[in-house]
Amino acid sequence: MSGSPRARRNQALIGFGLYAYLALTLAFPVAIVALWAFYDPAVGWFPPDIIPRSFSLSAWREVLADRNVLPAAALSLFVSVVVTVLTGSLAFPTAWALAQFPFRLKRLVEIFVLAPVIVPGIVVAVSLGEIFFRFGLAGTVLGVILVQIVGTLPFMIRILTATIEGIPRELIYAARTLGASPFVAVTRIALPLAWPGFAAGGLLTFIASFEEFEKSFMVGAPKVRTLAVQLWSYLGGEVLVLPTAAVVTLILLTPMLVIFVLAERIGKDDVMAAGLGKL
Amino acid sequence: MKPSLSIRQLTKQFDSNLVLKGIDLEVAAGRFVVLLGPSGCGKSTLLRTIAGISDPSSGGIWLKDRRIDAMPPEQRNFGLVFQTYALFPHMSVEKNVAFGLEMRRVNKRDIAHRVAAALELVGLADYAKRLPKQLSGGQQQRVALARAIVIEPDVLLFDEPLSNLDAKLRDTLRDDLRALQQKLGVTSIYVTHDQSEAMALGDEIVVMKNGEIVERGTPIDLYRRPAYRFTAEFLGMTNVIEAKLRDRACQLPWGDVRELENPSERDVEGVAIRPEDLAIEAVETDHHGVVEQAMFMGAATHYWIRAAGKTLRAITSGGRTAILPVGQKVRLVPPPMLHLLRAHHPLQEVAA
Repeated sequence: MSGSPRARRNQALIGFGLYAYLALTLAFPVAIVALWAFYDPAVGWFPPDIIPRSFSLSAWREVLADRNVLPAAALSLFVSVVVTVLTGSLAFPTAWALAQFPFRLKRLVEIFVLAPVIVPGIVVAVSLGEIFFRFGLAGTVLGVILVQIVGTLPFMIRILTATIEGIPRELIYAARTLGASPFVAVTRIALPLAWPGFAAGGLLTFIASFEEFEKSFMVGAPKVRTLAVQLWSYLGGEVLVLPTAAVVTLILLTPMLVIFVLAERIGKDDVMAAGLGKL
Repeated sequence: MKPSLSIRQLTKQFDSNLVLKGIDLEVAAGRFVVLLGPSGCGKSTLLRTIAGISDPSSGGIWLKDRRIDAMPPEQRNFGLVFQTYALFPHMSVEKNVAFGLEMRRVNKRDIAHRVAAALELVGLADYAKRLPKQLSGGQQQRVALARAIVIEPDVLLFDEPLSNLDAKLRDTLRDDLRALQQKLGVTSIYVTHDQSEAMALGDEIVVMKNGEIVERGTPIDLYRRPAYRFTAEFLGMTNVIEAKLRDRACQLPWGDVRELENPSERDVEGVAIRPEDLAIEAVETDHHGVVEQAMFMGAATHYWIRAAGKTLRAITSGGRTAILPVGQKVRLVPPPMLHLLRAHHPLQEVAA
C-alpha cells in the first residue's frame, strides 16, 4: 500500500472520525428506537438502566393488530413506484433542456424548479390541498400521486441535470451526423448514459414518496391513507407515545435500508455520488 | 473536376461577434482539403456548419446540385470525426460502427458484413467486442474513423482528429489516414492548426484567419509562393526581410541584389527567404552577420544569424564533423530568385 506511516495514521484517523460520525447520527438513534420498540410496559424503563430490564412485543402487537396497516403498506408501495416512474419521465425533458441549451432566464427557471423545496412542506400542503379539493382530486389515489410529484420533481430534475451535463455534446452530434433524429439520439445515447442519474434520483424519489406525510395527508385523508399517514396516527394526539412511535419509525425505516443495500449491490459507488455531487 | 461541395457567402454570428465573414469555398470531388489556421480563426465553426451541427447566419451550402444548409445533420450523409473521438461509451466497438447503418435501416447481415470490412480497413478486426474504454486513444480514433466511413459518406469531415494523440501515434495515424482517403477517394475536409499535418495530408490547403479565407493552394504553392506574409509565416518558418525594390529586382539590407519572381506585387510587406534557402559561409572579413546561436538537430543544423539589425534563421544539412561556433562571422547567400509577400488586411478594416 502507498503512503508513509504518517499518511497511514491520518487515513486511520479520518476513517475513525467518519465511522464515529456515522455511529452518532445513524446507529445510535436507531439503537435507541429499537430498544423503545421492544420495551416492556409492564416493567418500564427508568434511569439509571442503560437498556430496559425486560423486553416485549406489546407495541408491535398494538400497531400490527390494526387491520388497516397491511393495505396501507400495499397502497404506499404502489404510490411510491408510480411516483418514482412519473417523476423520472417528467423530470427528464426539463433536465435535458436545462443541461443542453443555453437560454435566457435560465437561472430564473432553475429557481422556479427548486421553489417547492424552498417553501416549507406544510405551506405547500395546505394550499395545494385546497386546490386539489376544487379539482375533485381530494381523497383520490391520483391526487396523492400528483401532490407527491410536486415534492419529488425538483430533486429529480437537479440530479438529472447534473448527470446530463456530464454527457459530452459530441456524442449527440456524432449520433446526429450518423443519421439519428434528435429523438433517436436521445433515446439511444443520452438515456442510457443518464442511467446513474436515474438510479440515484429514483432512490431518493422512492424514499421521499414512501415517507411523505404532510401533502399526502392534506390531499388523501381520510379516504386514502398511505402507510406514513396511517402510522402517524399511532403517534398519539397530545402526547408522544414513545414505544408506538419507535415501532412506526422502524417500519418506515425498513424499505429505506433494503433499498440502500440493493443500491450498493447494483450500482457502482459513484452512482449516488454522481447524482448527489451537484445537489 | 466538378465541385462536390460549394459554400457561398457563408457567415456565422455569435452575439455581436462575426466568426465567419462570408466564406466562399469550392471543394472538388475526391479532394482532400485542409482548413488551416490559428485557434479562433473559424475553421472548426466552418466544419461544424458543413456538418450541420451549427447553423449558418447567412449564405448557402450545396452538395453537387442540392442545397443542404437548412437540412438537419442526419439527412446530410457526412461522416464526422472528432478530436475527442466521441465514441458511444456504452456500446462495443462493433455497435459503434454499426450505429450509422442501423439508422439507415440496412439489413442485419449487410451490417455485420460492412462493419467487419470497415474494422478490417482500420486494422481493428480483432477488437469488435471491446468497449471504447478498453482501447488506446489511437485505437479509439481508428474506430471513430471506421464509424464515419462505413456509412459511405458523401463528404468526410475531420475536426483536429490527431490533436489528442501523442507525437509518434499521430504520425502513424496521419499516414494511415492519407492512405485510406486515397484508397476510398472520398471528398474530405480536414481542420487542423498544425502546418506539417496540413502539408502531409492535403491535396489543397485553405489558410484561414479571423473568420475569412486568406488564400488557398497546393501545399507546394503555398509553401514556395505564398501571396501573403501571414501564409508564409504560418506554413513553416520563414525570414521576412525588408528590401529596397528596384524595378524587377530588390536589394537586400546587406547589399546583395536579387531578381524577383513577382515584381508587380502591390502592398508589399517584404521578401521571403525560407531558412533552408539561406546558405551561410564562414568568413574572416567582409561579413554580413555573426552566428548568434547554433543547434545541431541531427538531420539539419539550425542557425540564428544576427545581420542587418535582425535575427535571421538559416537551416543547413546536418554538420558532418562540426558546426559553426557562436560568434563566427558569416556571409549570407540568398537564393537567386526572391518572392514578395503582400500584407493581409482583415475584411472589417477594409470596410471601415
